[in-house]
Amino acid sequence: MREPVTPDPGSGKTPIEQRMVELFRAEEGKVFSGEELGNALKVSRTAVWKHVNKLRARGYGIESVPARGYRFLTAPDTLTATELSTGLRTGRIGRRIVSADETDSTNLLAFRLAEKGAEDGVVVIADSQTGGRGRLGRRWESPGGVNLYCSVILRPAMPPVRAPQLTFLSAVAVARAVESVTPLCPRIKWPNDILVNGLKIAGLLNEMSSETDTIHFVVLGIGVNLNMKKEQFPEGLRYPASSLMLESGACVNRVEFTRALLTALDTLYEDYLEHGFASARNEWLRRSMVQGRRVRVSSGDEATEGIVGGIDDDGALLLQRGDGVSERVLAGDVTILDDLHP
Amino acid sequence: MDIKDLKTLIKMITETDITEFELETNGEKVRIQRGRPAEAVSYALPQPVAVAQPVALPVSAPAQEKPAATAVSAEAEKSQTITSPIVGTMYRAPAPDAPPFVEVGQTVEKGQILCIVEAMKLMNEIEAEYRCRIVRICKENAQPVEYGEALFLVEPL
Repeated sequence: MREPVTPDPGSGKTPIEQRMVELFRAEEGKVFSGEELGNALKVSRTAVWKHVNKLRARGYGIESVPARGYRFLTAPDTLTATELSTGLRTGRIGRRIVSADETDSTNLLAFRLAEKGAEDGVVVIADSQTGGRGRLGRRWESPGGVNLYCSVILRPAMPPVRAPQLTFLSAVAVARAVESVTPLCPRIKWPNDILVNGLKIAGLLNEMSSETDTIHFVVLGIGVNLNMKKEQFPEGLRYPASSLMLESGACVNRVEFTRALLTALDTLYEDYLEHGFASARNEWLRRSMVQGRRVRVSSGDEATEGIVGGIDDDGALLLQRGDGVSERVLAGDVTILDDLHP
Repeated sequence: MDIKDLKTLIKMITETDITEFELETNGEKVRIQRGRPAEAVSYALPQPVAVAQPVALPVSAPAQEKPAATAVSAEAEKSQTITSPIVGTMYRAPAPDAPPFVEVGQTVEKGQILCIVEAMKLMNEIEAEYRCRIVRICKENAQPVEYGEALFLVEPL
């Protein structure tokens, strides 16, 4: 495991690869033959091929055009602290960013840092995770170079009973970020699944360390499938999943997405600390599109149906059942029933 | 609040039907819980000080003479309850196929994870705040728990 290093984005890039990128960028969309690149860089065609592969391994998108050469598709998009911090104007979230090439899980790393005293708003990001996980120990596929795996340490001065509200803040933040960098329309599924075209594109797992009346810290774990390709998804997923690239047809700039996410979270968190849950809740309701809709909530063998009246301070879903009884649902899987006939 | 005030307070409360009482003044917090399952008084200061652990005072709650209560009160005599800080679902293991964090009779160290309470996809790891022995596990795996509801009965060591 490579522990939190904050690699300098420029380091480790040999001059040849750097120059190759510059050549590509000077004429975007052009297909360069191996010979042309070799001549310009004064290396053999085999060497060109090797350098192209090295760049690809670092997350560059370079297409091989059969019998013609190479076409540059995507800019280097490394999620390093230096890269992300440039132009990030947040008050709390991401004032300090810890980035790692690879870690077991950003939530675990954030937990370790928080236990050592990492402050409110510290963000932990890894390019790949060897032990990415979801609820109840489920695996979260975390290949390098394509997605976002990040965890945010929060230390809100409030009792632990309120902490579940933070789940709704992070869901809203992800939805805002998706909306700001893609033309897609994300929908939030209660409480915090983010769906695009009905497919899960993000996994949010939050963890808290607390005593009865005090929050030590909360770690908001946010994994978003940005540029993951079809073949990178594992078999047998619990929910149908996708990536923003697969849904929009365009590669998402990871740095841009991450900045948008941290900015959204910063705004929401500031507002939450100052004014409480109301505005995040309203935005969540709008984005979840469940308000006033008829839904079924299933949990194990049991299911309840009703019209959604909102969510309460615990985040519980408030249902008005057909028999007039209102019910408070704390866990379960929500299906919108009148979805097909809006 | 000194020990004398605390005693007076306990006396006042035990003369009523109140089973749970909480008072917060000038950063001090007093919580008194009586009846089932354990008679516990906790007195905590915001700073970690020597008495930060719930002090097991021999509370002489009026013996609510109920049949079959003897075993419980004997068990509860030296015991403390660990309660849930949030409304949620209790998980006794990190994953469905993993062994439970703790079993009855086990001695756990301060900081050791006892269970997870999940609420709205927020996993709250409940840790032992002091070295103790697990006397009873009050909830089944994957059962809902209320705020303040007992999760474990432990004997501080």
